[in-house]
Amino acid sequence: MITTPKATRPPHKGSVRGHPIEVRKSVLSILYKSKASHLGPSMSAVEMLLAIYNSVDLDAIRAKDVLRPRVIISKGHCAAATYSVMAHVGLMDFRTLETYHQDDSALAGHVSHAVEFVEHSTGALGHGLPVACGCAMGLRARGAPQTPVFALLGDGELQEGAVWEAIMFAKHHQLANLILLIDDNRISSITNTAEVINLLPLKDRFAGFGLRVYEVDGHDVEAIIEAIDDIKRIREVSVIICRTTKGYGVPFAEGEPIWHYRTLNEQDYRAAMAYLEQGQI
Amino acid sequence: MRGRIMNAVFARMQADENVFFLTADMGINLVEKIQQVFPSRYLNVGIAEQNLIGICAGLCNLGFRPVAYTISQFISHRCYEQIRNDLKLHDYPITLLGTSAGFDNAPLGPTHHIVDDWGAVRTIPGIDIYCPSSVSYADTLVDKILAQPRPAYVRIPKGAFEQPASRDDTLYLEGARGGPLLISYGSTVQTCLALQARHAEVSVLVCNRLRPLQADLVRAALQRHPSAFVVEDHFPSSGLYNMLCQFCMEHRLACQLSSLGPREEYHLKVGASAGYYHRLYGFDEQGIERALWGQSHALIDSPNL
Repeated sequence: MITTPKATRPPHKGSVRGHPIEVRKSVLSILYKSKASHLGPSMSAVEMLLAIYNSVDLDAIRAKDVLRPRVIISKGHCAAATYSVMAHVGLMDFRTLETYHQDDSALAGHVSHAVEFVEHSTGALGHGLPVACGCAMGLRARGAPQTPVFALLGDGELQEGAVWEAIMFAKHHQLANLILLIDDNRISSITNTAEVINLLPLKDRFAGFGLRVYEVDGHDVEAIIEAIDDIKRIREVSVIICRTTKGYGVPFAEGEPIWHYRTLNEQDYRAAMAYLEQGQI
Repeated sequence: MRGRIMNAVFARMQADENVFFLTADMGINLVEKIQQVFPSRYLNVGIAEQNLIGICAGLCNLGFRPVAYTISQFISHRCYEQIRNDLKLHDYPITLLGTSAGFDNAPLGPTHHIVDDWGAVRTIPGIDIYCPSSVSYADTLVDKILAQPRPAYVRIPKGAFEQPASRDDTLYLEGARGGPLLISYGSTVQTCLALQARHAEVSVLVCNRLRPLQADLVRAALQRHPSAFVVEDHFPSSGLYNMLCQFCMEHRLACQLSSLGPREEYHLKVGASAGYYHRLYGFDEQGIERALWGQSHALIDSPNL
């Protein structure tokens, strides 16, 4: 197990595209405008998504190069965060982002490949990692075993059996180009993950399957990027467990399961925006 | 039949470097040659059908044409949501090869009775469905599927039937004028052909391709006969009987359809061979004869519909 204590890392270099607070404002904006749910799981994944999209060759993605890196968002209900991050790193224009949940838009509440530069539609949990494994095998068969394939999963999603089918497969085939990230926000759907199916400590579950385990602060973009870089260098089948808070950055939603489902009223929205404006997270 | 189809897969892999074969740990004495000759395009994913389909989808994302192989009920039921979301939603041209059909695995018990497989796949739009009735058709099937940019499900019955020696998707074998029409696919076509050999007036319509139906030929056959019997080793409510009832309605055909197939239940008593269940449910030769010319058979009335 590897941990990256914040104090040992160099200070922010300012090279990361997209700022977590600005991304969260976008998330709030589109969720409020559309009266959509999934605030909690979107806010927990912002930094992970920023780390992923700052670790890929965006030009290869824009060019739709067959050997481009792949990003598979398996917890498809963080669509608002995914699309917001894509906008902030330059993969989507902000006018398109504003169509989230609107009539005739491709931007549904779960990640969709109808949106340009999204690889795979998800929403039913447990589907993304097998697809990512297929992409990783395909890149190997195409002679590009170094090209990374990112898979972002929720910790509640680990209750799905297909996830473990894929983990066994990834380890057996030594898919070192697969970079698996877990949004460990400790809340499943309606209650705490540990009360549903207790997998804690998560690191032992993955280590038991032979994976190299990184545990990082999931709201520290650079810490996540460091772990990603380490995996690229070491080339072992690995997982990055990102310790996060569901609803992070919106105080009244933090750690509250209901904000998986609840929509923002005007008062909530203004309070959350005001908090973010102060840059307090 | 399986061997012939696997030979065709092998030949396609020689000709097309995008064809990628995957098995969920099935196909002993069938898959080894592919593994030896094409190790970089062969994967045994283990007994993990959900993962199987997901991996196929990922390979499609890289431009491969995956051909996935395991027992029919596992590749249709266990991974149904993966077929819906990862395969069809993305219009990935994955070929699903399901081995065994109907009561091919009779004594193995109801978990291995394959009476509702293609009916489940059929609920998902845009997946072609085939059930070859002869080796002649099986020989050409893989090429036919891979020539299309669409997903397909193939239900491969046990046996290597030489007849009907045709490569056509739909085949009308006309009997003497005025006789009854039997409509079938897969191995139950053999029962129909045996009846036709004994009763020259019987006509047989063979549907090697179940979706899309070859509408012109099916319509022409149904227009020639005032009544027809659908003989199948699959539940009629989701099988060809149901499909043809809809077809008749939509095409305003007056043909009176009846079903000769399994009762819609999972049977717990052992049958040593498929014939046990065909007799039990009245779609063996004698049962069909009774339905055609004898007293009305109880099962003709499409139970549980």
